[in-house]
Amino acid sequence: MGVSIVPTLRVLKPVGMIAGVGFVGLLVGYFANAAFFPGTTPVQPIEFSHTVHAGDYEIPCLYCHTQARRSPSAGVPSVNKCMGCHAIVATDSPLIREVARHYENDEPIPWIKVHDLPDFVHFPHNRHVAAGLECQECHGPVETMDRVTRMAPNEMGQCLTCHKDMEVEHGIDCLTCHK
Amino acid sequence: MSLIDDFLARWHEYRRPGYYEEFDYHWTMTVDLDRCTGCEACVTACQAENNTPIVGEDAIARGRHMQWMRIERYWEGEYPDVKLRAIPMFCQHCDAAPCETVCPVSATYHNQDGLNAQIYNRCIGTRSCAVYCPYEVRYFNYNNHHWDEPLDQQLNPDVSVREKGVMEKCTFCIQRIRQAKDAAKDDGRRRVQDGEVQPACVQTCPTEALVFGDRKDPDSAVSQMLGNERAYTVLEELNTDPSVVYLKKVDADAA
Repeated sequence: MGVSIVPTLRVLKPVGMIAGVGFVGLLVGYFANAAFFPGTTPVQPIEFSHTVHAGDYEIPCLYCHTQARRSPSAGVPSVNKCMGCHAIVATDSPLIREVARHYENDEPIPWIKVHDLPDFVHFPHNRHVAAGLECQECHGPVETMDRVTRMAPNEMGQCLTCHKDMEVEHGIDCLTCHK
Repeated sequence: MSLIDDFLARWHEYRRPGYYEEFDYHWTMTVDLDRCTGCEACVTACQAENNTPIVGEDAIARGRHMQWMRIERYWEGEYPDVKLRAIPMFCQHCDAAPCETVCPVSATYHNQDGLNAQIYNRCIGTRSCAVYCPYEVRYFNYNNHHWDEPLDQQLNPDVSVREKGVMEKCTFCIQRIRQAKDAAKDDGRRRVQDGEVQPACVQTCPTEALVFGDRKDPDSAVSQMLGNERAYTVLEELNTDPSVVYLKKVDADAA
């Protein structure tokens, strides 16, 4: 009476081992990926904190990223813009001295782009700002980030979902975004 | 209803005459052949605007040339009584386009503006559309192309650089149409005005042989040209219903 489970287990043993190794590999890979490819949270040349600027002091996004209002590209503010305040504000800080060095040498700060769309996508920031979208809807709560993380998946589904929800005119036509 | 019936029902819906007429714009170009001198300025402008690669001698020898716009030359008569007929030929943006029916992945389709769209990301490179196109205006990327310095600096950022294995063709400078629409919306206007969009070829043509505009606007320059008695479309007998209309005075006695 009774069927032994042992033969079944014997067959399943290699399968279980492969699954186990695979699972460990996935875990290692998941964390190693974040360590080796910090693509979504790059370390910027100067540790600029959005928490201080946009969070604590509540400077509007469009004060610095002013191009978002009138051009397809949101742009990063020029060093001149930084020095507009920092010629008098927090001039003793080592980070600000670094900014001032760039300003005096007439060279731009090599910021690393966090939200980088593929080149075949047409995304005009000005149209989306005009449509009344909050920056946070795509970029996440930047005002709470010391180091900016890419929140948007930057995938086509994100564009389509929003265009459908907002009932954008011809919003799901390919040529609306693809170029 | 079976899948086939459903498909056929929708198919007839799409092929119904005037289906595309229900939409916003119907972009149309007219080519006045009596004005065209065959100077190929439009060809150069198109190449520069749309990041069309220079494929090189070897590729051309194998028939792999890439020009979204070309001038077809026809010589008539015997020397010394020779006449040159030049016909600019580019995607005709047919309303009943053969290329659209054949694409297995819908990479080419008709959009609401009467444009024959080509989506490079979707294209898998079967080249069926090029076979079906009676105007031979579709070009296939047989290779990845590169631009030598400093030519890479003149690439148009509003147009993607196509990769190996996708089909490409004239888009009526969709990037310019898109920009004009964005500008119109920024101004709070519903429609793009006549003359706000000019494809690169139209902008460049020294004799103003090319006119581009919206056929739906009865006052547009292109609508005026369409009423001209010289108007005809190329390969009319194929019923492709092109959006490019040519004008040519045909004089029976001249021949």
